[in-house]
Amino acid sequence: MKMLEVRNLKKSFGDVQVLDGVSFSVERGEAVAVIGPSGGGKSTMLRCMIGLERADGGDILIEGEPLMENGVYVPDRRMRKVSAKMGMVFQAFNLFPHMTVLDNLTAAPIAVRGMTKKDALEQARERLHEVGLSEKAGVYPRALSGGQKQRVAIARALMMQPDMLLFDEPTSSLDPQLTAEVLAVMKKLVAKRMTMIVVTHEMGFAREAADKVLFMCDREIVEQGTTSEVFDHPKDPRIRDFISSIL
Amino acid sequence: MAQMLFDIAVLLSDGVKYTLGIFVVTIIGSMPLGLLLTFLRMNKSRVSRGVTGFFVYIMRGTPLLLQLYFIYYGLPFIPGMKNVIVLDRLPAAMLAFVLNYSAYFCEIFRGGMLSIDPGQYEAARVLGFSKKQTLLQIILPQMLRVSLPSIANEAITLVKDTALVTVIGVTEILYFAKATVNRQANFTAYAVAALFYLFFNYLMTKLFDYLERKYDF
Repeated sequence: MKMLEVRNLKKSFGDVQVLDGVSFSVERGEAVAVIGPSGGGKSTMLRCMIGLERADGGDILIEGEPLMENGVYVPDRRMRKVSAKMGMVFQAFNLFPHMTVLDNLTAAPIAVRGMTKKDALEQARERLHEVGLSEKAGVYPRALSGGQKQRVAIARALMMQPDMLLFDEPTSSLDPQLTAEVLAVMKKLVAKRMTMIVVTHEMGFAREAADKVLFMCDREIVEQGTTSEVFDHPKDPRIRDFISSIL
Repeated sequence: MAQMLFDIAVLLSDGVKYTLGIFVVTIIGSMPLGLLLTFLRMNKSRVSRGVTGFFVYIMRGTPLLLQLYFIYYGLPFIPGMKNVIVLDRLPAAMLAFVLNYSAYFCEIFRGGMLSIDPGQYEAARVLGFSKKQTLLQIILPQMLRVSLPSIANEAITLVKDTALVTVIGVTEILYFAKATVNRQANFTAYAVAALFYLFFNYLMTKLFDYLERKYDF
């Protein structure tokens, strides 16, 4: 079964249309990179998929269960349940500044999933170890570098054991060195066959790590395919223009 | 001299329980009420926003002294209220203070809410927190931290504002100081009263310094 299926997604902000009939699907264990010029609708598409924005039309199915059908979202309760299968990592990290790193990780599993504090702490320490930040468990986010914050944010998203992770430009506010440490963590997830959709400007990551690339431009997906199809044999001239513009 | 200051302090100390009583009741009453007003004032409903906005305007736009007079002397003159709302001095003073301070706390908390990054709500949502959990665990702790310096300001102002209730005859510190000054024909009692207020505000300052350090994240 498809992990995610999006059909004919449409979205406008007032008079400005940002998505005009976007369709694609993601298989379980697939890593999908979404690339394209700014303002092409990449982030909006991602945000519609997890209910942070409301699309105006189309269908969104998560593991076969509808989040939106014919432009109508399911009721909020149902929506929370369906979208709980997804985790999300933001460009601005959005860690909770009043909580230590450890509390950032354990708060949601305890409050939302009813996990015991002991189990949550145990799991949180494992996740922190995986992202290489065991020694930062007790500090507040303010004391972390951007790269460390984003690794904590990834660990926090993983605490909810999502079937799929959405990344919204996870390295766009980081310098190259910090970008590399975040990408390293993301590559580990790819190696573990975590289903991921990554909106990114990191062409290197898209090329090396993604199973599939979506190129979005002018409100739609212009091209989708394997990395070699999109990068080496692009059919649409806009892709060539875009890739040459950022190299 | 020391004996005289001590005697005055003993005289004034009869008023301390009223000063403290009004302070404590105002804080306990006006902060939750202020928070409720904040939510109503930030509500989607225009009626809710309009009504709370008007309340805040009245409470901040007229003197607290006038509000004291109005609630103690004025309410019974409203037709039909004569036997319904007749408050004693102390409850009238407390009601006026709670209403007045709740308007200020409403605006302080609203400012705190506006300072919170929308990304906090989004992160909470994608992690599955309910609206109530988001408010209690994510938003309120940050809002209160941001508001802490302004809350300290209000608390210190409140210590001094309690002196206003002397005008409707509540027997707090200043009431006794005035009586003592009149009897002794000497201003020393006012100086002692000043020391009482300074002492309470010293404690306030220390308390809020501690809270700001404790919740420094």
